[in-house]
Amino acid sequence: MSITKRWRTSPATMRRRSMIRFHTPGAACYPGAVAPLLEVRGLRYAYGERLAVRSAALQVERGEVFGLLGPNGAGKTTLLSCVAGLLGRFGGELLFAGAPFRPAADDGQRALVGLVPQELALYEELDARENLALFAALQGVPRERVGLAIDAALQLAGLAERARDRVKTYSGGMKRRLNLAIGDLHEPPLLLLDEPTVGVDPQSRNHVFECLGQLQQKGRTVIYTTHYMEEAQRLCDRVAVMHEGTVLAAGTAAELAERAGVPGADLETVFLRLTGKALRDEP
Amino acid sequence: MNLWTAALQLLQKDLRLYFRDRAGMVLGFLLPVGLVTVFGYVMQVAFGGGSAMPKAELWVADEDGSAASVDFVAQLRKADTIVLRPKTGSPPEPAAALRDKVRDGDAHHVLVIGVGFGDALARAAKPPLEMVRDPGRQMEDYAVQIGVMQAFLAVSEGRLWPVTMGETMRGLGMSAPFTERLVGLGRDMQGLIEKFGGGEEPAARDPAVPARPGGFDLRSMFTTMVPMTTTDVTPPARPKQLSYQVAQSVAGMAVMMLMFGLMACSTTLLQERDQGTLRRLLVARMPRGAIVLGKFLFCFVVGLLQMAVLFGYGELVFGVGCFRDPLTLLMLTLAWAACATSFGMLIAVAAKTGKQAEGLSTLLILLMAALGGCWFPIQIAQLPWYGELVTQSTLTWWAMTGFQGMFWQQLSWTHPTLLLCLAVQWGFALLGGGAALWLFRRRYLRG
Repeated sequence: MSITKRWRTSPATMRRRSMIRFHTPGAACYPGAVAPLLEVRGLRYAYGERLAVRSAALQVERGEVFGLLGPNGAGKTTLLSCVAGLLGRFGGELLFAGAPFRPAADDGQRALVGLVPQELALYEELDARENLALFAALQGVPRERVGLAIDAALQLAGLAERARDRVKTYSGGMKRRLNLAIGDLHEPPLLLLDEPTVGVDPQSRNHVFECLGQLQQKGRTVIYTTHYMEEAQRLCDRVAVMHEGTVLAAGTAAELAERAGVPGADLETVFLRLTGKALRDEP
Repeated sequence: MNLWTAALQLLQKDLRLYFRDRAGMVLGFLLPVGLVTVFGYVMQVAFGGGSAMPKAELWVADEDGSAASVDFVAQLRKADTIVLRPKTGSPPEPAAALRDKVRDGDAHHVLVIGVGFGDALARAAKPPLEMVRDPGRQMEDYAVQIGVMQAFLAVSEGRLWPVTMGETMRGLGMSAPFTERLVGLGRDMQGLIEKFGGGEEPAARDPAVPARPGGFDLRSMFTTMVPMTTTDVTPPARPKQLSYQVAQSVAGMAVMMLMFGLMACSTTLLQERDQGTLRRLLVARMPRGAIVLGKFLFCFVVGLLQMAVLFGYGELVFGVGCFRDPLTLLMLTLAWAACATSFGMLIAVAAKTGKQAEGLSTLLILLMAALGGCWFPIQIAQLPWYGELVTQSTLTWWAMTGFQGMFWQQLSWTHPTLLLCLAVQWGFALLGGGAALWLFRRRYLRG
């Protein structure tokens, strides 16, 4: 059975099982499935002459919230784009549940991943339900399940009461939550959140954290990119520190501090130690 | 999800967004309708309905005030090629004031009818007439000359031809005594003609030819100067009230405005990119070609709606006869909508920013509209062969030839001219659409 079919035929099963198993970082959700959900091996990607990602390697286990930490230009978004299928001509290898993964070339494989872009990728003239219905259809959610999927997404975003209002009338926080809910609409095994709190006010940021909490409860595996140390420390089970296109180190915050020779230190200190630069000094 | 299902989903979404923006949508439909109205009426008025000759403004100062000069002014007012000023009922203006108008650029032609005009006509002598004109207005000069000649011949009844001939011969170098003899001979002939026309020379009449009521008519002489028969032929299906200029305006504005309308639609692709929704569409579980196909279908449907509105309006207001042959109209409309959509998609995909797309498309559309004959009939420009080559290489030229072929020449889509137009437009639609898809893959799908 191909990787796509295996995932495509089992979302309900996955959901049931995820309630039990996904909350445990590193736990396998399928009998016999011991490989990490996503494995990145020696990933390289260049925009023309400029190498954005150079030989990046990491493993994301099932059910964990995995943080990609690094300054602007570290290669986080490029790495996510390769995993989401936006970029295809990369070097190295992607493995999804142990099988080769080329989402750019395969529509079915793209459905295994949900992308929540940094910008509010919404149609403002449509209401929340219409936005959700469109992306549910485009993501291939079966017609008989579209209604349920939309209701679940509205619940997640806390927008059930305003589902028929046009998105342009929403506050920034509501839009953020809808943006996130659309990414999770088709219940992908892996959800990619690209700096979801950049440029948002503290209240909206808290809304995003609440949504993320609900996703964790559902057992979603999440890759969360950020350059906010405190967010990574608070939300992520494990963190990879990216710098100039490479993954310098990955592990829990405690493991990273240990490895950097500053046991018990926070992520900011760890980052400084690993890269020799303060995160916020980066251009 | 297959290509067509995904594309139709995107089409539905784009149409929903399009119709939600009520102000934008109304503007998108009303602007072309407004332009068709303005151009249609302007062309109709400027070209005097079906006439091909534009009217020129002529100011007149009658210093003579005789019955003959008043009659002359009345004849000028009737002339086909002249708009006479001052208007009927307005106070006359003195010659000096009118000269100032020409000097100041407020008028380009002034005719001064001098004192003694009536006497000169009665004596068949050279009348005191002066044309004051702006030499930079040559185009109007022809119209004015034709109108003045028409009126003068009518009022003088041709009696001054000996004088005119004498002037011409003097100009060619004939001596004064010989010129006088020639003019005298002419006057004798004129006298004989007038007497015969007035019934005073019954001996000169051919009993076999019946007398014409009204006597001698100079206009009949001019019409028989060139021995030919004139037959007016128009396609029987063409609406009687339809003028070439109105058909030109409706077709021209429809063709040009569709390009502008579709350009706005196709740049929604750039908006999708800028607002981030394109990334979301690109990672959706559907063939990526559906994004381009969906946009193409959206533009195509909006284009068809716009054309339907414009032609419906053209039919109601100007009676263009758009729906005389629905199949031909449909085929021409489909071909042009597809062609313009491909053009819009190509620009939208090739441009890196919305501003680039707007600038480039505005330039190209205006250029193609002018060269393709959307603004005025390009055939009247008498272009050299390379100029014609340029005009024929524009998409608008083929669309205009098609629509004018249907509206004016009353051709059907099976006519070789229209078949060629359809083939060229569909050819570009396919090539442009293919190029847009290729560019889209190259620009947005890195691998």
